Amino acid sequence: MGNAVVRAFNTSASHVFDVLRFVCACPEPLGVTEISRQLSLPASTVFRALITLEDADYIRRFQNTPKFELATTPHLLNRALFSRFELHRASRPHLKTLAQATGETVSLWARLGWYALRIGGAFGSRDIYHRARLGETRLLHDGAAASVILAGLSRAETASYRAFVDRNFSLAQPSSGWTKQQDDLDRIETRGFASGPLAMAPGFEAVAVPVRDETGRPVASIMVDGPVLRSDAPELEPGVLRARDALEALIAHDPPAFRSPFAHIGADEILIRIPAREGADPAG
Amino acid sequence: MVRSVLRAKGRDGPLPLAGPDPAPNLAPRRVRVSETDNEGGDRGQNKATARILAVLSEFASDTSGFGVTELSNQLGMTKNMVYRALTTLVEQGYLVRDPSHQRYQLGFRVLELQNENAIEPDFRELCAPYVRKVFQLTGESVSLMVRAGDYAVFIDGVETRRPGTYRSQIGGLRPLHSGASGRVMLAFSSDQDISDYVARRQPMRLAPDGELTPERLWSEIAGIRKLGYARMVHPGALPMLATAFPIWDMDNGLHGVLSSGAPLERFASEIDRLMPSILAIVDELCHRTRLYPADTQQWEMQ
Repeated sequence: MGNAVVRAFNTSASHVFDVLRFVCACPEPLGVTEISRQLSLPASTVFRALITLEDADYIRRFQNTPKFELATTPHLLNRALFSRFELHRASRPHLKTLAQATGETVSLWARLGWYALRIGGAFGSRDIYHRARLGETRLLHDGAAASVILAGLSRAETASYRAFVDRNFSLAQPSSGWTKQQDDLDRIETRGFASGPLAMAPGFEAVAVPVRDETGRPVASIMVDGPVLRSDAPELEPGVLRARDALEALIAHDPPAFRSPFAHIGADEILIRIPAREGADPAG
Repeated sequence: MVRSVLRAKGRDGPLPLAGPDPAPNLAPRRVRVSETDNEGGDRGQNKATARILAVLSEFASDTSGFGVTELSNQLGMTKNMVYRALTTLVEQGYLVRDPSHQRYQLGFRVLELQNENAIEPDFRELCAPYVRKVFQLTGESVSLMVRAGDYAVFIDGVETRRPGTYRSQIGGLRPLHSGASGRVMLAFSSDQDISDYVARRQPMRLAPDGELTPERLWSEIAGIRKLGYARMVHPGALPMLATAFPIWDMDNGLHGVLSSGAPLERFASEIDRLMPSILAIVDELCHRTRLYPADTQQWEMQ
């Protein structure tokens, strides 16, 4: 196979994946013309890409219209990715117990390079509860669940992280600047948990605690998305610590099984395009 | 699972009628659903990229990874084709090599293939292409059932136009002991659960006027557990042969049961020949359903 043929092979695939990612990112189903215009690709190229993706069950027509939405396969690929994290399966009973004890939605976030990825969760039992989904991915300084992982990393690693964000996600830098953000991280590490205010429950905060491996490095976090911490008397719900201890015991019992499936890849090499949340900060 | 039943009713209404199958592919290798779903031929798709997507789709299961030869055998593609597809997918970040560089695993970039407004497929949606596939293979009625208490509930299926078949109605209930699907649900329950069921349901009536003794039920359950699926004959004026297969969830529990049945006289001569292919289809389906907890666990984030 000559180089020209290889290039054509890859360019064609690249267009198809561009179209697929675009369909994924759109809040509403879109048709050929709109996708073609947005991606600056010929309509014929987009049409062939859509047909290829539809035949492979990556997208489907939206209610018999010429517009397209995600089909089953991308869902399955993401579920398969979560299942590569042993914590995805092992954490389930503990998250359920914690959600029942607090009545609030509980999530497990795993570290993935310089990101945090929600790989597990249990919904709260109250009538009003936080509705979240698996697969949400955030930079490590974005929100309590991610920041509590970042806070446990060394200063050298934190510096590498900032360089990564500056290089790839300039819009996602914290609005208050990195210096103030380091102060926030130091406070989180001292307290042992991160918290964030809740607009719907003034005076209360949601909390996140780090889950550490056998060497003490944070590899995940448990987040309770509900008013479980009084802002004026920050004392952690005992169930949160019990869940954390249970997961850390599991990891310590069999460290290789719980190692990240991407541990052999450098954090800087793991680049995932996520919608930037401008000015994200640890309390967000 | 009630959610699935309601959706099924709302979306489809009566069961679709469908004709006998086209010439089935009886090769016992893993059967790709997309191969038969797209029998209409080339619609202008990009074939090289279609192969890349087919390779990536293989990773949409509970597998830990694949090597080139394994994928080549499963997909019926040459090793060279598979290798080129894998190389492209690694370049794009959708796959990564494992630490030994011998096998390929899902990559982090599949996380970009999400839509926050999309709804996760439910059990019925996951099974739909496989229900069609079994129908295309056998030409006989296919049912998808889930357990609701002491009953098996019909949630989806295809009813053949051939003479003599099981009547299927979405939402229809059958006591667990009375059919192949229900007995599979019992067989893969705990012994205590089965004993409790037997105690609650005495006497276990069978249509039209028979009765199932606990001893016979336990004997059949032992057979199902040994075989891994049910194969039973319903006596009567028109004896029927039914086969039923467990569909597993991520906790090794049951999502539900997929079954196919027909008059004994017609099905008995075919079923042994078809069984390897049916089992291959069910196996591929289970690789996907094992990624999800059973739908009844409403507390769990999807």
